[in-house]
Amino acid sequence: MNTLLQSFRKNRSLWTTLVALLFLFVLAVLGLIDQDAEGGARYKNVVFTILRGFSTGSIIFGLMNVLNMAHGAIFMIGAYVGWTVIVRPDTAVDTFTPIVLLASGFLLAPIWHKSINKLKLSSRVSRLWPWLSLAFTLVVLGFFVPQYPITSWNLGSYETTPVNYAFAASQGQVVVPEPKLFQGISPLLGLAGIILGSILAGLTVTGFATSRRANLAGAAMQTESSWKPLIYFGLLVFLGLLVFSFNTPISEFLYSLDSTWLFIIAILAAVITGAGLGALIESSVIRPIYEWHMYVLMLTMGVNVIIVEGVRSIWGAPEFTMHRPSVFAGTGEGCPAESLSALIEFKCSTISVLGGRIRTYNEIFITILGFIVLVAVWMLLQRTRLGMIVRAGVQDSEMVKALGINVQKIFTIVFALGVGLAALGGVIGAPSTGLTTALGESLLINMLVALAIGGLTSYPGSAVGALMVGLLQQFVIKYGQIGINIPFMEEPFKPSPPLVPAMTVLLMVVVLLIMPNGLFGRSK
Amino acid sequence: MENTKENSFVRAIKSNQGLIITILCLIALPFVIALINGQSFSSLLANEPGQAKFYQGLIIEIFILAIYALSYDLLFGITGLLSFGHAMFFGVGAYLTGILLKSFGWTLLPILGVVAVAGVVMALIFSIVLPRVKGITFALVTLGIAQVFHIVIQSREMAKFAGAEIGLQGVTPPDFLNPISQRLRFYYFGLVAVFVVYLFYKRFVDSPTGHVCIAIRENEDRATMLGYNTFYYKLVALIISAITAALAGVMHGIFSPIIRPGITGSGFTIAALLMILMGGIGTLNGALIGAATFKLLSFLLEKWFGGASQVIVGLVYILLVLFLPYGIVGTWRLRRLQIKQGWTDLIGRFTGKGRAESS
Repeated sequence: MNTLLQSFRKNRSLWTTLVALLFLFVLAVLGLIDQDAEGGARYKNVVFTILRGFSTGSIIFGLMNVLNMAHGAIFMIGAYVGWTVIVRPDTAVDTFTPIVLLASGFLLAPIWHKSINKLKLSSRVSRLWPWLSLAFTLVVLGFFVPQYPITSWNLGSYETTPVNYAFAASQGQVVVPEPKLFQGISPLLGLAGIILGSILAGLTVTGFATSRRANLAGAAMQTESSWKPLIYFGLLVFLGLLVFSFNTPISEFLYSLDSTWLFIIAILAAVITGAGLGALIESSVIRPIYEWHMYVLMLTMGVNVIIVEGVRSIWGAPEFTMHRPSVFAGTGEGCPAESLSALIEFKCSTISVLGGRIRTYNEIFITILGFIVLVAVWMLLQRTRLGMIVRAGVQDSEMVKALGINVQKIFTIVFALGVGLAALGGVIGAPSTGLTTALGESLLINMLVALAIGGLTSYPGSAVGALMVGLLQQFVIKYGQIGINIPFMEEPFKPSPPLVPAMTVLLMVVVLLIMPNGLFGRSK
Repeated sequence: MENTKENSFVRAIKSNQGLIITILCLIALPFVIALINGQSFSSLLANEPGQAKFYQGLIIEIFILAIYALSYDLLFGITGLLSFGHAMFFGVGAYLTGILLKSFGWTLLPILGVVAVAGVVMALIFSIVLPRVKGITFALVTLGIAQVFHIVIQSREMAKFAGAEIGLQGVTPPDFLNPISQRLRFYYFGLVAVFVVYLFYKRFVDSPTGHVCIAIRENEDRATMLGYNTFYYKLVALIISAITAALAGVMHGIFSPIIRPGITGSGFTIAALLMILMGGIGTLNGALIGAATFKLLSFLLEKWFGGASQVIVGLVYILLVLFLPYGIVGTWRLRRLQIKQGWTDLIGRFTGKGRAESS
């Protein structure tokens, strides 16, 4: 009791704010109950609205990563990659090989690093040769990459636009396109060219890194044994070549798969793509300027623009819809499910509770997954060695470096993880949100509002913020349907959809006015 | 007495050489383009269609962007407030002009007044959180507010006035500033507007208020310690910046045939950032140079690459932030002596004069 009082005294404004918000929440709930005329289903609206709020909140929550304005865009990338895997598995399989081969060369960087350090080049040479290598890389990649055959859509002609194709697929009239083959050059030469290009690219990157670090004592950085990267490189190249040689059977197999399995594969693909992109962004763009938060903010905004425009030029502007996996899509006999066993038996898309229907995918599956992710990340940050290093590294990276830990690498991993989670959110959310090129933008606001409410530096804070934003949005939407009775007005006031983001921003402004660092953020 | 007066006049001209030369060049430019394209001056003055008219339009767009970039430079470059919602000011000006002209049939003067008032109101909305929130959180709040405006302007409810996703079309511009029939007049009007705004900003930055704004950028705590209530100074900068951006929006609303909702989004704020980054953050002439560079660059990229040009603009932006954070003017100021030395060395090598002589 005493400690509670003490903590209350310490955080007076926090508690007052929370109590006020709770009061408003209760008021909103009471309003919803009053609206219902029938006695039996009185709590229906409340339960549904709260559940919907939780599910929206969990989607937002998957996005948490401090100071990354490109997060919404990555969310969008996740959704688009998942959509591609489900609708066009052949294209996905086709793009797999070149991407893996291109990535493989970068794994050799430690070896290059070591041998360059052994060579002891003069400063002029070590400054010059990376540029030569870069030019060579660009020539090789520029020649070989466009030659690689990818069976894909063509935005130019109406017959082969992705929208048209997706429509045919949803009608069950899928025409599996003829796989493309290498033309003009032999396949072996093409693949070898891409591998050579990626090795050269790895060499270039290492060259630039060493020439920049030439004055510093960077030689003792690598302690790993030198054969490891070679093995990884070999494995990756082997994987790429394997997929290339069994291209047609794999795509046919994927076409014949059930949509639930395809959905799982799509999730995997999206997460890996997101994490890879995250690692790329972090190591190339953010790492040089980690300390200057303003510049990081500005840079990631630029990355955001690039990704959105890139998506627009690859997938085109029109909107897509993604179907729910078959486990959650049953509508026939026995649905909506009355009990849990019936739900599992008939794979219903809805379940009836309290006289109303809850959508299994949107409101139950997403919520549960969101909580799992939340708890998993929380455990990772609090209970593992990696989490410990991250927390220490955020506080004092110099000291952690002095202890012999590669902080940069850890930060890259964490960033990639966060971005991968965003991509996961994207592909999970795609069936309920649909796919548009503005998807990232609208999510970005929600994410920023959640972050600002919770406090920029606090992990539980952002979770609370996300939940609050989700709940608020659902309440506004619900009241938009039933209207609010305001005294002295003839018709009930109905908040329109544009008011939803406005309300969230209003909440953020109010919270920030009372507590400038957010609910759980610490002042610097 | 008269002698000293003349001296100060001469001195003023000498210290603003570059500015005056630029103005003279821009005054002559439409005629020069007409000469190059073999168009007669009488047809130019009659605003007959042709290459010259097209280039006038391009430069008018540069003028509009220059005013917009100047306003952002005052906010971010001079006062140090990073706002991600600046496009909202511009969008308010443009949409308000379009809607009042089209749906209500107002004339230009009252519109200017209403837009100025709207700019002040917008600045006050931004400033609600100003005394308590700093740095990145301020950026997030402004981004949130601006995004709300972006969504509202595209919504179905506003479609009758603002035209939803397609944009506002069919605005009849006032006769004396019609961008089609009176383009040359619009051109000179834009030129005058840019330099009036520029001179006003220059005066503002040189004034005591402007000096306090710079002090806030450099170290806000120290400015507070010295006894300045930094909130008022930030508010003044914000209001001036908002009004200027809204007036640039008015010009955009009259000039462009379609007012697209894109100009209220975060992409357009990024464009402003890109402009002042190119020119040099915190330098007023940098904002003008940056706007011109940005517009010409994106025009050329659009011509060469078509739809993918935005990706390249984004790449340029990232490379600028990484490798040239001071921009054109900023780098020139930092490295002026080195660059001059380099040139004299280079010239010296060709003319046979040794290094020792030049140094």
